[in-house]
Amino acid sequence: MIWVSWRQHRSEALGCLAVLIGLAIYAVMVGTSMRTAFGHDGLASCLASGKGAAGCPNAVMTFTNDFGSEVNIAFWSVALIVPGLIGVLVGAPLIARELEFGTWRLAWSQSVPRARWLAVKLVLVSGGLVIVGAAMTAVITWYRAPMDQLTGRFQHNIYDFEGLVPTAYILCAFGFAVLAGLLIRRSIPAMIAAFIPWLAIRLVIEFLFRPHFLAPLTFTCGANNCNGTNGGYGISAIPPATGHIGDWVVSQTRSGFLYQPADRFWTFQFIEAGIFVALAAAALGAAVWLLHRRAA
Amino acid sequence: MAQHDSGGNGPALQTDRLGRRYGRVWGLRDCTLEIPAGAVAGLVGPNGAGKTTLLEMIIGLLEPTEGEVSIFGEASHAYHAATLARVGYVAQDHPLYRDFTVGDMFHLGRSMNPGWDQGLADARMGALGIPVKRKVKQLSGGQRAQVSLTMALAKRAPLLVLDEPVSSLDPVARQEFMREVTSAAAETGLTVIISSHVVSELERLCDWLIVLAGGHVQVAGPADDLIAQHRMGFEELVMSYLSEEAVTR
Repeated sequence: MIWVSWRQHRSEALGCLAVLIGLAIYAVMVGTSMRTAFGHDGLASCLASGKGAAGCPNAVMTFTNDFGSEVNIAFWSVALIVPGLIGVLVGAPLIARELEFGTWRLAWSQSVPRARWLAVKLVLVSGGLVIVGAAMTAVITWYRAPMDQLTGRFQHNIYDFEGLVPTAYILCAFGFAVLAGLLIRRSIPAMIAAFIPWLAIRLVIEFLFRPHFLAPLTFTCGANNCNGTNGGYGISAIPPATGHIGDWVVSQTRSGFLYQPADRFWTFQFIEAGIFVALAAAALGAAVWLLHRRAA
Repeated sequence: MAQHDSGGNGPALQTDRLGRRYGRVWGLRDCTLEIPAGAVAGLVGPNGAGKTTLLEMIIGLLEPTEGEVSIFGEASHAYHAATLARVGYVAQDHPLYRDFTVGDMFHLGRSMNPGWDQGLADARMGALGIPVKRKVKQLSGGQRAQVSLTMALAKRAPLLVLDEPVSSLDPVARQEFMREVTSAAAETGLTVIISSHVVSELERLCDWLIVLAGGHVQVAGPADDLIAQHRMGFEELVMSYLSEEAVTR
């Protein structure tokens, strides 16, 4: 079954490898010049000196303008859909292709019961997707490392691409697509039927639930310390009012704001990845159970 | 290998009041059959008679709504490895993975069947002149049918089930395919069940006849006895059971 799974999914594996190589080439090119600029502009010493020696705000601004730390809608929307696309492209045909081409009669009449056939494939393909997700995350994290020192990792377009969540997003889309492929029995409609709820859940969790995974802390502004800050993520021009790079302000209050401190990054990553992995496991479990129970 | 040791004189296949319902409609009902080991049984009936339903329940691809199947005295259960391993199956239209080579298909057979006989598969391809490095999509319909048959035979299962195996083939390929089935059955003592809606194809091949219509078995038994008993030819005999007024529903 290992060989069968590999043979049936090797073109998808090669496709993922090609995407990874493209991403890595881009990351090395931009990441290298980013590192050079980081050294040139003396940003390391700026960070060390905390609230800023003379010239630091300008240096930071030049750097972030050149390399785009701001939430860039175009980049973010690509970043948003790519894990979902990978998941549904690999997941939807897994069962639907067998049903479309009639090869289920061949696949399920060998000496391996269909539920086991599916379970083995799901374990192996999910494993492959975890490797792809982890590799993509590693490349992006390496490339973003200098910028992350200035901005922290809680911004939407950074958080969504580092740590554990990108891999969990891929697995969730994969799980939805496998189940949709079994129910709808056609690959392309199954891709669409899986992608839409995946995207909806993804956005609802990001914008409605993520700010409240843990109770936010309260920051009360003193006489001067909120002036001229966006209270926001990075140090961009001026270090954040809370004094920590990467603190995430989730809402304003009359006397200050509520924020999630930067050191909750990994806790939040575990919570969000856990939600998506659980959704993936539920969908895949349902697919195995349904295939075992019902006549195709 | 245990494939033929249970042959003896016991029946190869027994079904007991087998039925399958799709929603409110019975695709097949009250099907009680017995096929002796070593028989080549022809399953005849018009389209929609329930032939595929019956065959899929026999091979373990479909769970019966009621009744039981046993193969060589052992109960069959849909989706069980032991049941699946006892039957070689050639599905209608000979599904194969189009982007696989013939060799890949056999590799799949080897990794999914404990009793796989690679020597048999290679020898058959050699005899038929089908290169194992060729992709499935480059094969002719007749060659694809032969690869499907070879996969079912190399599984080394004691019962071979063929569902409308030649309906999509041209006359030359039909004849070749049937010749291969006949010689495989003769050489190895396989029990074969072959369905068709074209009666003339089965006449030379089959020594056992099952006529299915309207979701019920109309007649089943040794072909020679039935012919002798009714004093008519094979085709005429089948037609007499399939005529509108004769069909019990």
